[in-house]
Amino acid sequence: MKWRCALIQRWLPAYPDGDLSPFWQGMVRSHLEKCPACREELAGLEAVVMNLKAAPRPEPDQAFWDNFNRELHLKLAQSVQSVPEPPPARFLKMPYYLLGAPALAGLLLWVAFGYLNPERPGLPPQPQLSQEQKALEKTPAAPRLAAPAPAPEKSEAVMMVSQNGHDMHGEDDLDLDGDLDSTLAGMTETEREAFLKKVRQHEKDGSCTRESLAVCWA
Amino acid sequence: MTDPQLVARAQEGDLPAFEELVKKYQREIYGLAYRLVLDAEEAKDLTQQAFMQAFVHIKGFRQQAQFRTWLFRIAINQCYNYLKNRKKFGDPVDCDEYVLVGEDSPEEELVAQEDHRRLYAALSRLPAKQRAVITLKLEQGLSYEEISKVLGGTAGAARVNYCQALKTLKKYMQNEDDYEVAVRPYPKMVTRVSRR
Ligand SMILES: [Zn+2]
Repeated sequence: MKWRCALIQRWLPAYPDGDLSPFWQGMVRSHLEKCPACREELAGLEAVVMNLKAAPRPEPDQAFWDNFNRELHLKLAQSVQSVPEPPPARFLKMPYYLLGAPALAGLLLWVAFGYLNPERPGLPPQPQLSQEQKALEKTPAAPRLAAPAPAPEKSEAVMMVSQNGHDMHGEDDLDLDGDLDSTLAGMTETEREAFLKKVRQHEKDGSCTRESLAVCWA
Repeated sequence: MTDPQLVARAQEGDLPAFEELVKKYQREIYGLAYRLVLDAEEAKDLTQQAFMQAFVHIKGFRQQAQFRTWLFRIAINQCYNYLKNRKKFGDPVDCDEYVLVGEDSPEEELVAQEDHRRLYAALSRLPAKQRAVITLKLEQGLSYEEISKVLGGTAGAARVNYCQALKTLKKYMQNEDDYEVAVRPYPKMVTRVSRR
């Protein structure tokens, strides 16, 4: 087969219905006028189309469709009863008992966020000095997120400005610091008490950061 | 009532409105499913499944699209899944052969029967996607643009697929006899269907 015939025959099935671009429609037409091989190929394709259109398909009678519709009606009615609302989001497709997990995670995040964000309004200020001290003394290295956190504080006493001018979180952030944690963890109770007292004193007058204090103490 | 009106009502959970749509399209969907799976009984089940799927997902249907092509898409996906499973479980993709047997069988009728038999055998050898594109174009009369909405891709790709599919079908029909003797000497099944 000549290369031109191969090119034309590639598009021959779309030619009879005029589905080619005007350029290709013209190309094919003029080629067919002078090429018996491509004319024969086209005749063969048209015979297949004719054959296909004439091929019998099962054409069920009305009784078949009545039965079909009866069966389908039952299935549809059932699906209306069992699934009234298709779930809109993918994660809602999980079993209902699993929905508790994201809800709990959300609640924990909300609580933790509220706890870590002292600017959050609407929550009463707490007498936090003694509370914080107690928490520290009980579990100095415990991760905050795991515990049900107390309401966040909102007071100038809590907000501090470090020496380099960046905002620092209040005393409730004390044990979130890695170095400080390890320092506190290695102390006895009396040492810890003495250390925390010192921290507060230094922080009040701004003479020293906690980190540097921890290093000095160590 | 028009399709968009019926669809809007079905989207609000109106089952009779949806059943109107079923009655309107069931023959087309059944014909399409039959051409794809080449099995009358399976085609019926798949048609029902397609309507079930359509009903479940009708709220997600956007009215800018054509309900008919959306339905075709669902039906074709059902058929693909069915064929994939059948292949997975080692069931050969074979076909019922609906051969017309008239009261009196003149010579032309016998020739036509032979043509149809070869056509079905050749169709069953085509990949499902090529069967789909041929059926959508020649039997459902869809444009390439509409075919691309059903099968995905572009209208240009749909035209390329159609050309390729028809050429392959022709080739298979030409050498069907050689293929049959060499590969699968299965007994011919004759089913009587009424000609309308
Ligand atoms: Zn040529």
